Amino acid sequence: MDSSLTTNRSLASLRDFFSAERILICFNGPTSRTLISEIGVALKEHIESSSDSLSAAMDVFSVYIEMSQNIRHYASAMGYVEPDATATVVIAETSGGHYVVSAGNIVQAADGQSLVDRVASLAELDKQQLKALYKEQLRRPRQEGASTGAGLGLIDVARKSSAPLQCSLDALDAGKAFFTIRATI
Amino acid sequence: MTQEPGQASSGTNLDLAATVSTPAIKADWQAGLLSMVGESYPENTYEIFDEIITWVEAFLGECDKTLRVELQLNYLNTSSIRAMIDIFDRLQAAHDEGRDLSVSWLYDSRNPRSAEMGEEFKEDYSFAFSIAAMRD
Repeated sequence: MDSSLTTNRSLASLRDFFSAERILICFNGPTSRTLISEIGVALKEHIESSSDSLSAAMDVFSVYIEMSQNIRHYASAMGYVEPDATATVVIAETSGGHYVVSAGNIVQAADGQSLVDRVASLAELDKQQLKALYKEQLRRPRQEGASTGAGLGLIDVARKSSAPLQCSLDALDAGKAFFTIRATI
Repeated sequence: MTQEPGQASSGTNLDLAATVSTPAIKADWQAGLLSMVGESYPENTYEIFDEIITWVEAFLGECDKTLRVELQLNYLNTSSIRAMIDIFDRLQAAHDEGRDLSVSWLYDSRNPRSAEMGEEFKEDYSFAFSIAAMRD
């Protein structure tokens, strides 16, 4: 990152960018369980205060928690240390009154590809099919699918989204890739 | 009083205060009452659920009292949902053997997601499972 961002002028332009993109909360860096919780609570309270029903707040909170915990479980299972263990999370509002939760992390390229395939297969299912798959996964032994840390959580995210999940994979050096997932609630 | 997981014995009670990511938990052996109030999304569910499951197993296995389970849970992450299933499966097994037990799911009427979560649990079990909105 450009070191000039530490100047007031550059921070102002970063702020302008966040505002233009209607970003509520974003985060890039090493995570801790406390940090994940604190950001989540702030996010939930913000949405609760601007909405009649708690449903939107609970859905955004839930998607954010599942994505963040998936990243932490994966980094831990892979034995990643900084900077590979870093998470990038962005929560934004859309002009149409929806919320978008995006999360990105470094993965082994092969794991990233299987996530991309999984997201694509979930995108073909309707709400009833997602519920059936969710219940089936709920009854499966925990170890299955644990390699990517994205079994039940990913289905849950898909169920809470109002549009199919989107994702992308950007290749990095040394057999790694940066995986991004985006859910619209 | 709390005990290490796996060490619950007859008459043991649990009384755990809520944290930001775990619910308040009370288990009263004498009253035959287990309650959980709050939100549950710890990174590792065994941190709290091992203790609850051990208590439930001891209570169901070592006495024949009625068990009432009262749940006021606003939010559960998917790992906590799995852990709840582990508890409900034990209740179902005991119910199948004729044990008197019930689950009462209470939700904040402003939070329909909690009601839906209760409904999704309920549809997989045949023991008494009531779902009701709390009055303010």
